[in-house]
Amino acid sequence: MNYSRFLTRVSKNRQPSLIRELTNLLSDASPELVFMAGGLPNPQMFPFQAASVTLKDGRALTIHPDLMTDCLQYGPTPGYPPLVKQLKSLVEQLHSPPQWAESDLIVTAGSQDGLCKAIEMMVNPGDYFVTQEPCYTGTLSILNPFKPRYLPVKCDREGLNPTALREILSQWNPEEIRDVEDNVPKVLYINPNACNPTGVSVSEGRRREIYEIASAYNLIILEDDPYYFVQFEKPEDFPPSFLSMDTEGRVLRFDSFSKVLSSGIRIGFVTGPKPLVQRILLHKQVSILHASSLSQVMINELLRIWGIDGFLKHTQSVQEFYRKQRDSMMEAAERHLTGLCEWAVPTGGMFLWLKVPGVVDTWDMILERALKKDVILVPGKAFMCDPSSPCQYMRAAFSVVTPEKMDKGLMNLAELIREEITLQQT
Amino acid sequence: MDYSKFISKMALNRKPSGISEMRTYLRNASPSLVWLASGVPNAQKFPYKEATFTLEDGKVITIKPDVMATCLQYGPTTGYPPLLNQLREMTFKIHSPPCWPTSDVIVTLGCQDGMAKAIEMILNPGDSILVEEPCYSDTLCILSAVTPNFLRVDADEYGMCPDALKRVLQETEKNNPDKMPKLMYLVPNASNPAGKTMNEERKRRIYALASEYDFIILEDDPYYHLQFGDPEKLAPSFLSLDTDGRVLRMDSFSKIVSAGLRVGYVTGPVQLLNRIVWHMQASVLCPPGITQVMISELLKEWGDEGFRNHITNLRNFYKSQRDVMLQAADTHLKGLCEWTVPDGGIFVWFKVLGVKDTENMIKQRAVKKDVMLVPGNNFMLDTTKPCQYMRAAYSNVTPEQIMVAFKNLAELIREEIALQDSLTTA
Repeated sequence: MNYSRFLTRVSKNRQPSLIRELTNLLSDASPELVFMAGGLPNPQMFPFQAASVTLKDGRALTIHPDLMTDCLQYGPTPGYPPLVKQLKSLVEQLHSPPQWAESDLIVTAGSQDGLCKAIEMMVNPGDYFVTQEPCYTGTLSILNPFKPRYLPVKCDREGLNPTALREILSQWNPEEIRDVEDNVPKVLYINPNACNPTGVSVSEGRRREIYEIASAYNLIILEDDPYYFVQFEKPEDFPPSFLSMDTEGRVLRFDSFSKVLSSGIRIGFVTGPKPLVQRILLHKQVSILHASSLSQVMINELLRIWGIDGFLKHTQSVQEFYRKQRDSMMEAAERHLTGLCEWAVPTGGMFLWLKVPGVVDTWDMILERALKKDVILVPGKAFMCDPSSPCQYMRAAFSVVTPEKMDKGLMNLAELIREEITLQQT
Repeated sequence: MDYSKFISKMALNRKPSGISEMRTYLRNASPSLVWLASGVPNAQKFPYKEATFTLEDGKVITIKPDVMATCLQYGPTTGYPPLLNQLREMTFKIHSPPCWPTSDVIVTLGCQDGMAKAIEMILNPGDSILVEEPCYSDTLCILSAVTPNFLRVDADEYGMCPDALKRVLQETEKNNPDKMPKLMYLVPNASNPAGKTMNEERKRRIYALASEYDFIILEDDPYYHLQFGDPEKLAPSFLSLDTDGRVLRMDSFSKIVSAGLRVGYVTGPVQLLNRIVWHMQASVLCPPGITQVMISELLKEWGDEGFRNHITNLRNFYKSQRDVMLQAADTHLKGLCEWTVPDGGIFVWFKVLGVKDTENMIKQRAVKKDVMLVPGNNFMLDTTKPCQYMRAAYSNVTPEQIMVAFKNLAELIREEIALQDSLTTA
C-alpha cells in the first residue's frame, strides 16, 4: 500500500530525533559502550529507591531498585520493551492480525494521544473526514481545529450503517479516487464496540462490509476500541476486530487500559502498518518523548503476575460489573422514561443514548434547566459533526452512579422532559 | 496584551472540550445532583490499591487507597491540584512574575510536550522564529514539521547576542516586513548543547527588544537548578522580567527528580496556557495521576529545606562530573579539540579541529570505538552543512568510563583525520 498518500505535509516534514534514536539503541548496546549521547540524568541522584504497589487481590508488585531506575529514567519512545513484548503477545492472541509481520505496536499516553497523533498525521486543514455519527466528542475536539469537511455516517441500533456509508461515498467513483491525494476522503473513524455515545456494537457482517467499502475507496480505518474489554457478551462471541480482518494493512487500531486497569495511569497502545506507526512515533519523540515509565512498569508487572489469562479474567469481572450497572440503568429507564424516550440497550461500555421524540433539541433543556432538576447528562449535539442542527438525543453514563441515584436521576429527568415538552408547546 | 496575533490558524480553531465545560455547572450544584454526564470508568474496578515509595534517605511515602483511587482516575487536564499549588508557590517564590495575576501554571507530560504544544499553538507554516545556533535538536525536530522561517541570531560564550538580535530584527523589518517574528526560542541556562548561561544584562536587553518588536519568548529552562554558580547570584529568569506577559516558561523535573515520570510544567499568560490546555484535552487528556502524586508527596516530605539540599547535592554531583570530563579532555583531547567550560547542565560542546564534519565519524565509526556522542549538525538549522562540533553528556557515566571513552575518542579523531587526508590525497 502507498502510505505516503495518507500523510499530511506537516507529517511528511517530520524528522526523527537523532538523540531519541540513539537512546533507543541503549537497550541493545554492548556493555563496553560509553554512552555520552543522550542527556540522561544520573539514577544515583533519583530520590526514589524502591516501591511496592499492593493490588486489591492482596498480591503486591515489588519495584526493586533496578526496576525503579527503569521507572525513573528516560525510556524508548515506542515503549518500555518488556511491556511492548507483552502487548504484542496480547494483540497477536486476540486479533491474529493478517499483516502482523508488517505491523508495529507502540505504547501511547492513553489511546487518545495515539488517535490525536494519527489524525494530525493524516488530516490537512479542510480535508474530508468520514466518521460515524454520533461521534465521540474527544475525536471531534481533535478534528475541529482542522475545519474538516465531515462526511458523517448515520448509526442505528447496530452501529455504523454500511448502506449509509456507501451512500455518502457514492459521490465519488472509487476507481478514480483511490490514488488521488487531495480533495478526496481518505480516513474513516469508527468506535465499533459499545460505541461512545450510543452504547451499541457493530456486527461482524457489517464490519466486513465496511472493510470492503474502505478497501474500494482506499480509506485508512481508525479503529478506536477502548470498550473492547467491556463488551457484555462472552469473549468467544466478541465480533472480530477490524485489525483481525485487515488483509491490506489499512487499519490503525487504538487500544486502551483506561476502562479496565486505570484511566489516570495514561497507558494505551496503537497497532498498525509500520509506515504509519512510524510517523506517529516521530511526533511522540519530540512531544511527550514516551509514556510515563512508571505507568508502563506498573502495567507490565501486573500483566506479568497475572499472565494474559489472569488479565482476561479480570476484564470479565469488569464486564460483569458494568453489565449489572447497565441492568440497573435499564430498570430505571423503563420505570421512568417509557413513553418519553427511546433507546437501544447498550451491549457494552457505560453509556445509554436516549432519544427524546417530544423535544426538538435537548441542548437548552440540559444546559439551562437540568441543574434545577438535579440531573446532568450530555446533550446529543456535543456528539454531532454539525453542532448547528437541533438534536433530540442525550447521553447518560452508568459507570459510577448507584442504582438508587440512577432511579432518582431518571425520575428527575422524566420531570424535566415533561416540563420541556410543555414549555415547547407554549 | 493582545494575544490573538500570536495564535496559529489551527490553534484559533481549537475550542475547549464540550464535556469539560460542563464541569462549570458543578460549581453551584446541590449535593443531590445526579451526575450522569461524564464517562469516567468506575475506579472500584481498577486493580491497584495502594503504594509505598522508599526514598534514598530511607523515608517512606505512602499513597493510601483514597489517594490511589484519585490518581488512578482521569484527573484535571491542568494537573493534580495539590501539585499545581506547590508548583505555583515555587514559581512565585523563585520568579515573582510581574504578571502573576494574569498568569498560571499547568502540568505537562514533560516540559517538552508543553513546548511542542506552544510551538504548534503559535506558528503557522512559514512563520518566523528567532533562534540561536546551535539549538536544542529536539526543538528543531518539532519545528521541522511546521517549516518555519528561521531567523538565526549570532551567539557567543554567553548565549544569544542582543546586538545581533537587534540587527536581525532591523534587517527583517526593512527587507522582509511580512516575516517579522512572533516567537523566540532559547535555553538561557546551561544551554543545550553549548552549555552557555546568559547573564542578567543580556536578558534585560533581549526582553526590551521582545517588547519593542512584540514577540513571545519561549524560555526553555530544564537546567535552571543545575547551574554551578552561587545559588544566591543566579541571573533572573525571563519570567521574572516579564512585565508585558510575553514569556512562556518551561520547567522540568527530568534532570532533578526523574525523567521517566514525565512531569514538567509551563508558566505563562492564562490566555496562551488555555490553548495549550485545549490541545492537551484532545490528546493526552491529563498528565498521569500517580507520577504527579509521587512528586507532590516528595516535595511535601522534603519541604523547602529538603528540596534545597537535594538541589545542592545535584549541583555538586554534576559539577564534579563536569570536572572529570574536562580533566579527561585536557588529558586526551588537547590539540585535537576545543571546548568551553559549561557553568551548568550536563553537556560539553566540543569542536574537532582537524575534522571537517563529525557526522559520519560518529554515526559510522564511533560504536566500534565503544563511544557514542551526538554529531553537532543535529543542532544546526541546516543539518546538511558540514559541522565540526559534537556534544558529550557527562551526566550518566563514571569517571573511569569518561577517561576510557576520551582515550578512544582521541583515537577515533586521529583515525578520522588520517582518513580525511587519505581521501583528499586520493
